[in-house]
Amino acid sequence: MDASVTSRAILSCSNMTCELDSVSGPLNILHDINFSINPRRALGIVGESGAGKSMLVKAIMGIAPRSLRIHGKIELDGQDLSKLRPKVRQKLIGRRVGIVFQNPMTSLNPFVQIGRQIEDSGRVHLRLNHREAKRRAIELLSLVGIADPEDCYDYYPHQFSGGMKQRIMIAAALICEPDLLIADEATTALDVTVQKEVLDLLQTIQAERQMSMILVSHNLGVVAGRTDEILVLYGGSVVEYGPTAEVFRNPRHRYTEALLSAMPRMDQPAHTRLRTIPGQPPNLTSRPKGCPFAPRCPAAQAKCHEVMPTMSPALAPGHRFACHFPLPEIARPVIAEFANVQ
Amino acid sequence: MTDIGNNPGFNPGPDAKLSEIVRAATPWSSKLRLSSGSTSEIIAAVFLVLLILVALFVNFIPGLVSPKLPYGDFSQLPDWSLNGLLGTDDIGRSIFSRVLYGARTSMTIVAISTTIALVAGLMLGLLAGYYRGYFERAVDLFANALAAMPSTLVVLAFVAVTGPSVVTIIVVLGIFDIGTYARVAKAGVISQSNRDYVLAARAMGATDGRILLREILPNLIPALTAVMPTLMAGLIITEGSLSFLGYGIPAPAPSWGGMIASSTDLLSRFPLLILGPVLAIVITVYAFNTIGDYLAQRLNNREREN
Amino acid sequence: MSSDTTMAEPILTATNLSVGFMRGGKEMKAVDDISFSVAAGETLGLVGESGSGKTTIGRAILRLLPSANTTSEGSITYKGADITGLSKTDMRNMRGRLQMIFQDPLSSFNPRRNVEDIVAEGLVIQGRPATDRRERVKAALADVGFDLEAVAGRRPHQFSGGQCQRIAIARALAVQPELIVCDEPVASLDVSVQAQVINLLQDIRESRKLALIFISHDLAVVKNVSDRVAVLYMGRIVEIGTGPEIYERPAHPYTRTLLEAVPVVDASRKLEPDGRRTVMPSRNRPQSGCAFRGRCPRASTICETTIPILGQAPRGQMVACHHPHDEPAPGIAAA
Repeated sequence: MDASVTSRAILSCSNMTCELDSVSGPLNILHDINFSINPRRALGIVGESGAGKSMLVKAIMGIAPRSLRIHGKIELDGQDLSKLRPKVRQKLIGRRVGIVFQNPMTSLNPFVQIGRQIEDSGRVHLRLNHREAKRRAIELLSLVGIADPEDCYDYYPHQFSGGMKQRIMIAAALICEPDLLIADEATTALDVTVQKEVLDLLQTIQAERQMSMILVSHNLGVVAGRTDEILVLYGGSVVEYGPTAEVFRNPRHRYTEALLSAMPRMDQPAHTRLRTIPGQPPNLTSRPKGCPFAPRCPAAQAKCHEVMPTMSPALAPGHRFACHFPLPEIARPVIAEFANVQ
Repeated sequence: MTDIGNNPGFNPGPDAKLSEIVRAATPWSSKLRLSSGSTSEIIAAVFLVLLILVALFVNFIPGLVSPKLPYGDFSQLPDWSLNGLLGTDDIGRSIFSRVLYGARTSMTIVAISTTIALVAGLMLGLLAGYYRGYFERAVDLFANALAAMPSTLVVLAFVAVTGPSVVTIIVVLGIFDIGTYARVAKAGVISQSNRDYVLAARAMGATDGRILLREILPNLIPALTAVMPTLMAGLIITEGSLSFLGYGIPAPAPSWGGMIASSTDLLSRFPLLILGPVLAIVITVYAFNTIGDYLAQRLNNREREN
Repeated sequence: MSSDTTMAEPILTATNLSVGFMRGGKEMKAVDDISFSVAAGETLGLVGESGSGKTTIGRAILRLLPSANTTSEGSITYKGADITGLSKTDMRNMRGRLQMIFQDPLSSFNPRRNVEDIVAEGLVIQGRPATDRRERVKAALADVGFDLEAVAGRRPHQFSGGQCQRIAIARALAVQPELIVCDEPVASLDVSVQAQVINLLQDIRESRKLALIFISHDLAVVKNVSDRVAVLYMGRIVEIGTGPEIYERPAHPYTRTLLEAVPVVDASRKLEPDGRRTVMPSRNRPQSGCAFRGRCPRASTICETTIPILGQAPRGQMVACHHPHDEPAPGIAAA
């Protein structure tokens, strides 16, 4: 076990493709997704609406609609999920992976005390008895920064604000002591100051409990300083994947680069003209044959519209991208940039 | 949102949500089944169309005898001639002819009563929902009072006083449905008023009248059409009961309830003769309710998408 | 020197504006004694989190708040004339000058109308003749990059979010307003589309000398579009000044909290999570004194007793704080 810790990924997806049948033929929701996440690492998954982020999470968690056909391999802690019986698979996922969704208002049952809701999966998956479950729930409530956890145990969801509810959701996700925590747009519905508190909390807990974490967000800023690796999705495909700092410093795919320069930044003066990306993100039914970004790409050539680019081989620090005509490499300044990444 | 339900070749717009596509593309979703309409819904719709055609054009059916005049022996059992298809009644009139003309009676009552109820209910509902306050409370009180009264008994009392006439029945039945239409319209206005498009119209300087009639009213139509068939079924039942009790449409005019009443005397000897009017009421009410359920279901789906 | 005196004559001024909603017999103050002004060609950004009253201010300016269960005080003057006392009819005639763009463009369109009718609506209400109307609709759509012939008969749901927001802008422009209140106009859009709408608003503001009131929770967007910025907290303006004043030398502790919380697109260093995790500070409004004192690291006894009023901060902006800061913003320090 110990020997494999460094090399074995907690979660890995290889050649994962998801299709959905529709009247007009199969829809390609996700195309050839490859990534893995090692113990104690944080991965950011970013993409705009329709990029396939939430489907990817649902496919991993085994909660995708039944009509979604998943090809390829998803391995959780070395076990191929598709080879397991559904019951065994859900049990494994339930124990090893915790998830926090975007909307705490709908993820919590309004008629059940929050303490019970936190315990729930612990009692199912770990067969905790009532006393032990309650002890853990109260411990977790105080861990996520809820004052008076003993009293709050008996409260109902409506007695908490949105940010507090999201903290409760985090507590619920931690009850089985998972190895991987997935935050699926978990801070999108929150105010900025609350968002920062919740992100700080997630990051602290991840470090303390030595978990891996996946932060899924449409906001590059949320992922920027808080993840080790980043996966950029566009139109159902991975367009860029690599160490977060490296991808932000020197984006090689033209979509990543365009997205970064389309964002209004705090360090630019007022009325700075933003770079626009013409057109709209592709929709699910008419995915282009070639590169999904080709119709909006300033550098697209005939080849881009015809041939889907494949992921480049990993460059020096594991930086990969899928582009026929990538942006040039920028020489790295001599400062030790990765000093703080372990 | 796009109404996928009506679009068999489902082709989502440029901004279609994934959830929508999943729902539309999922074979077991009830949505897809609804899109074409199930068999019973199609049969119900065809039946209602036929019923309306009969009600409009029954006097042009070649060879059909008058429903008010005897044409053969008393209480004849069915045979394979057009007029004898359902037999003859206790004074020798063609039951088939009377059932068809009865459809005209029923549909006339349904159409006029519904128009009265819809117009009045819509007006009350629009004003109550838009201006709220005392007016809303008054309309609520009115609607609740109507809902609390046993309609058949009240109509009965009314007719007993004024004497049975088609006009009284139509008006009184119409008044009873005002409450429901008013409530549906009011709920619709309240939910639509919170939408930004109403605010946008006000920002443009639209008057209250314009907002109510041009902006909100068109968006109430789906909800109102969804309750309409169910209320219409209720009208047919109430009218049938009244006629059965002898307080409905006055005697020589054909009505389904009246026919059932007159054939009960002969029920022990000629049970087949009651079949025509009974089936007419049962199938019509069933068809209205089926269509009502279908429309309500479709409305729910559409609202879920928004 | 003072940021309150704008270069040009203000086109719209709100003075001591307060709005309260009656809920179960109790009055909740959504907006509390707010004053500001906007000049032609200027953008005033209103930033705040949920519950700060920013949307209510926008609607109060255009007098779009429901009349039932709402109390409002203070005055709003448009080009020197008070519009708070105008009759319904007089206000209707004002409508063309003041327009609004909403957060969710799709819900701001009547689903049963086509694009041409939507954009023409204000002109129909103003009673313009049909030919003139078509010309203006065509021009307004052209301004936002649409060809009337190509889109006229289409319904709003056939367009994407960004396209809908452009149609909403065309609808507002068609009546040739002088001020547009933009209520979170890009909050529901994808980043790659958001830039199109922001740039478009900037172009239109410049070419038409429009005054914009830009309401948003996104500090980076507000920084980009605004000349002046007002920071709102629980219905009050806690700080107002020019963009550089607010963003480079924020004086109010709340402004600083906000600025620190903005997720920055900078991956060069990994963020150290804030260690002070123990208990979330209460976000309820305290019974007395400054509304922010429960979360404020600088709170003292005076903050418990006295509500701070807006006053001149050391660097020129106006701030409502007993203990204003006078140092550069956290991120700016090094620069």
